Amino acid sequence: MLTSYLKIAWRNLRKQKVFATVNILGMSTALCVALLLSLTAYREWTYDNFHENGNQIYQLMTEEHGSFHTKKGTSMVEPLAATLKKEVPGVVRTTRIGEVNMPVRYGANHYYLEAQMVDADFLQMFTFPLVAGNKQDALQQLNQVIITQKTAASLFKQEEPVGKTIEVNLGGKWQPLIVSAVAANVPDNSGLQFDLLTRFENAPDYVEIKGKWDAASYPLFVQLDPAVTGALFERSVIPIVHKYYVEKLTDIKKDEGTLVIKTIGLKDTHLNPDSSYYSGLNQFYPWLMVILATMIIGIACINFINLSIARAFGRSSEIGLRKSLGAMDSQLMIQFWSEAFLLCFFSFLLSIVFTVLVLPYYNRVFGHDVALSLFHNPWLLLGALTAFLTITLLAGGYPAWKVARLNIVQVLKGKLGLSKSSTMRNGLIVVQFVVAIVLISCTTIIWQQLNFIQSASLGYNAIQVISIPIDNAPSNALAAMRNSLAQLPEVQSVTGSMLNLGLGKDGSSGNWTRGFDYKGRPVSTQNIIVDYDYAKTLDLKIVAGRDFSRNYGTDSTAVVINELMAKQLGEKDPIGVELMMNDKVPLHVIGVVKDYHFESLRKKIDPLVMTMKDASSLGYIFIKVQTNNPVNALKKIQQTWRRINPLAEHDASFLDENTQRMYRHEQRFSKIFMSGALLAIIISCMGLFAIAVLVMAHRQKEIGVRKVLGASVSGIVLLLSKDFLRLVLVAVVIASPVAWYFMHRWLQGFEFRVNIHWWVFVIAGVLAICIAFVTISLQSIKAALANPVNSLNRE
Amino acid sequence: MIQLQKISKHYPVGFGKNDILKDIDLTINEGEFVSIMGPSGSGKSTLLHIMGLLEEPSEGQYLFEGERVDKMNEKKRTQLHRGSIGFVFQAYHLIDELTVYENIETPLLYKNIPSSERKSRVADVLDRFNMVAKKDLFPSQLSGGQQQLVGIARAIIGEPRVILADEPTGNLHSDQAKIIMQLFKHLNEQDKITIIQVTHSDVNATYGNRVIQIRDGHIQP
Repeated sequence: MLTSYLKIAWRNLRKQKVFATVNILGMSTALCVALLLSLTAYREWTYDNFHENGNQIYQLMTEEHGSFHTKKGTSMVEPLAATLKKEVPGVVRTTRIGEVNMPVRYGANHYYLEAQMVDADFLQMFTFPLVAGNKQDALQQLNQVIITQKTAASLFKQEEPVGKTIEVNLGGKWQPLIVSAVAANVPDNSGLQFDLLTRFENAPDYVEIKGKWDAASYPLFVQLDPAVTGALFERSVIPIVHKYYVEKLTDIKKDEGTLVIKTIGLKDTHLNPDSSYYSGLNQFYPWLMVILATMIIGIACINFINLSIARAFGRSSEIGLRKSLGAMDSQLMIQFWSEAFLLCFFSFLLSIVFTVLVLPYYNRVFGHDVALSLFHNPWLLLGALTAFLTITLLAGGYPAWKVARLNIVQVLKGKLGLSKSSTMRNGLIVVQFVVAIVLISCTTIIWQQLNFIQSASLGYNAIQVISIPIDNAPSNALAAMRNSLAQLPEVQSVTGSMLNLGLGKDGSSGNWTRGFDYKGRPVSTQNIIVDYDYAKTLDLKIVAGRDFSRNYGTDSTAVVINELMAKQLGEKDPIGVELMMNDKVPLHVIGVVKDYHFESLRKKIDPLVMTMKDASSLGYIFIKVQTNNPVNALKKIQQTWRRINPLAEHDASFLDENTQRMYRHEQRFSKIFMSGALLAIIISCMGLFAIAVLVMAHRQKEIGVRKVLGASVSGIVLLLSKDFLRLVLVAVVIASPVAWYFMHRWLQGFEFRVNIHWWVFVIAGVLAICIAFVTISLQSIKAALANPVNSLNRE
Repeated sequence: MIQLQKISKHYPVGFGKNDILKDIDLTINEGEFVSIMGPSGSGKSTLLHIMGLLEEPSEGQYLFEGERVDKMNEKKRTQLHRGSIGFVFQAYHLIDELTVYENIETPLLYKNIPSSERKSRVADVLDRFNMVAKKDLFPSQLSGGQQQLVGIARAIIGEPRVILADEPTGNLHSDQAKIIMQLFKHLNEQDKITIIQVTHSDVNATYGNRVIQIRDGHIQP
């Protein structure tokens, strides 16, 4: 019986090529896209969930609430780890984790390796299995190091790694470390990545932070007893804060503030913006992918349903006949469902081929790292199969049910045909176009916003300034750079800064917020440490006073502030005002610069204080160049830097590149949206085309009669297109407010944003109508031009 | 075998109703070859559909082999379609996507007959109708008369007790019609199959042993 069904299905497919093509192509593309998107979402959601103790491991963070500010941080003080383990019940293990890019030397070869400096508990807490050595004593000694298999291969080639001595550069000195174990390579869905592990005590600034309760330094993870929840821990840690953070609490209490320690579950670190292992990915982003995937699958399913129903009416005599031969409704349903299944199955196979082909391109363009090997997970495979069966059931089941219930006599008499308009079909077409139009208008608005951000005036010169991450270079590197660059004619000025502007090639960013009392009231400001010529290099406009200058010996206690800070101080003439920022030395204001966007346009500009300190606090070198050949200048400067700092790890980049990089998630997001919109439109149109073919075929006689009665070609085209265009128009009306709402919400994430203009929706609507009209015209013009004799004679 | 008692059929039209059949009393015995005749729109096709359980009467009772049809559930009716009633249509209604062989085989599939028996029964029928050479052709490759032969072959493969034929020769020219009618006569006489046909043709009616004239929903005496 089933073979007979499949035989019919197969012959039907071959006979009706348009429908088979539309269905299979549409469905397989949609399945492919859905597969890619859900794999991406799945990957983001399953970050860090390979750790066996994952549910009991938490990252700690501090939350400081003041009357004017809330400050969150994951840098914890050094003695906290040991104290928690000793004094808080339920804390089983703790580890501090310091990440450094460590210069490593073995034989004559130099390497830069990503090192995590951890406590001995680390290996017991996290699931990073060792392939050689054992967990108990691999990190017992300070001079022990664990390397990954990959590192072992590149350092030692074929040699046995355990017991070998390598040299690492700790705080400027080369020290020998002994390889105690080899760890399996770190899975790529791990937030913690490392090439080597060594003891936390090896951190370059360990001596400075040791035992200090006021110097927050590195992230801290705790493993709790299975019976203790994160919330419970947060309560039991309160006394510890009161007991040890005495100095800090006194400060905070001046501002009527509070300080609490909170937890972030290990598995949440990937998507939690507060965590130091935050990927930068909006939490909503994976959901958005699933929603997009569902929408595209939905559109393809709608095509499927509409076409199956339309086609089934064409086969009404077969259905009636089968009933008279003794087929039960259920048997007919199974027959039609099996046809749907066959189509879906082909689509599924094809979609897997597509996916394999598209995957490398997808990963490259959208910056994802998805692999089909994720399907080694049986649950995921099962989930995909279930989803697939549900789709065939939805897409094939409804038409089958509908067809099987047709009235047999009418069917046999051939009275039942494809009606000119069916509510169900029209509704589904409207849904398709609503989705397509929502996607088009969202894409337009996202694109406008990105464009706005990229062309917005930031208040500083981003085009001519090159930024170099200093990394681990010695502290005299800046001075050496100044000297070398003085010989280059295109270099106009050089300065240094603690923080980069935008996001450099090192991918790191940060801020430093400070609060202090000014004339008895608390003020809060961001603080950056800069070097001479900062305002000059960045073309910051000095509104009052002057920039730091070598001509004044007292500038080490001077600060330059921005306008907002001046406003916060409430002084008419802020020059000369003294600020007690750290209770020790008063700093006096020497200049005010015009506000500039030192952070992303997502945020308002904050009050800012620029201070000068020794060169070791600087993280970036900024160089202003005046040249017609910026690429060449960048190359020259890069070479100079390599000479001064041979171990330089990250390349120089222009600041405008950096500011663009800050919005890479949005760019990625808009690319995905744009592709989704395009696909949705294409699949919808394919469906519309096929339905148009069917309807035209059905109305052939009517068209013939009309032509004989004198209708013009254009009149007929209009008549045939009118019904469809009306549907698209309805879709425009429904889609516009939906798109407006979503985009309004999205734009809330930006402090500086475009307005949503009404014409965006008009354009999206007109576009959709045009595309639909062209699609239908392909068929309606053909129908209108046909010789009426042919269609009339056939009856 | 077939007993119709006070059968009426009407459709709602606007606020009134359109009567197709009125108070039909008819009994057809096993082994009869009955021709139903009448002008267009007289209700003869509706009568045939009611006898074939494709339509339900608005009023009256229908007994098939002494059993009340209106008391039957869908399953039981389907059993009758599978086992007792065979249909032959004016438009043949063959399934275009299936070959001659597969078209004839289809009713047996619905009866869940094992594959080997299906094969031998289809082979028998093909042999009997001299269509063995055509068994792998599709309906579109056959002439109208040949298609109707396949239609009849399909109707009798399930070994029905009665064949209901709705203008079986309506689309055929006279030579082909003659062959078809002789086949029906043969089936009636040799295989003892009750045959009820609707026809316009007086010639075709002569093949049967009883003619029922129907006019405006009434049986003419």
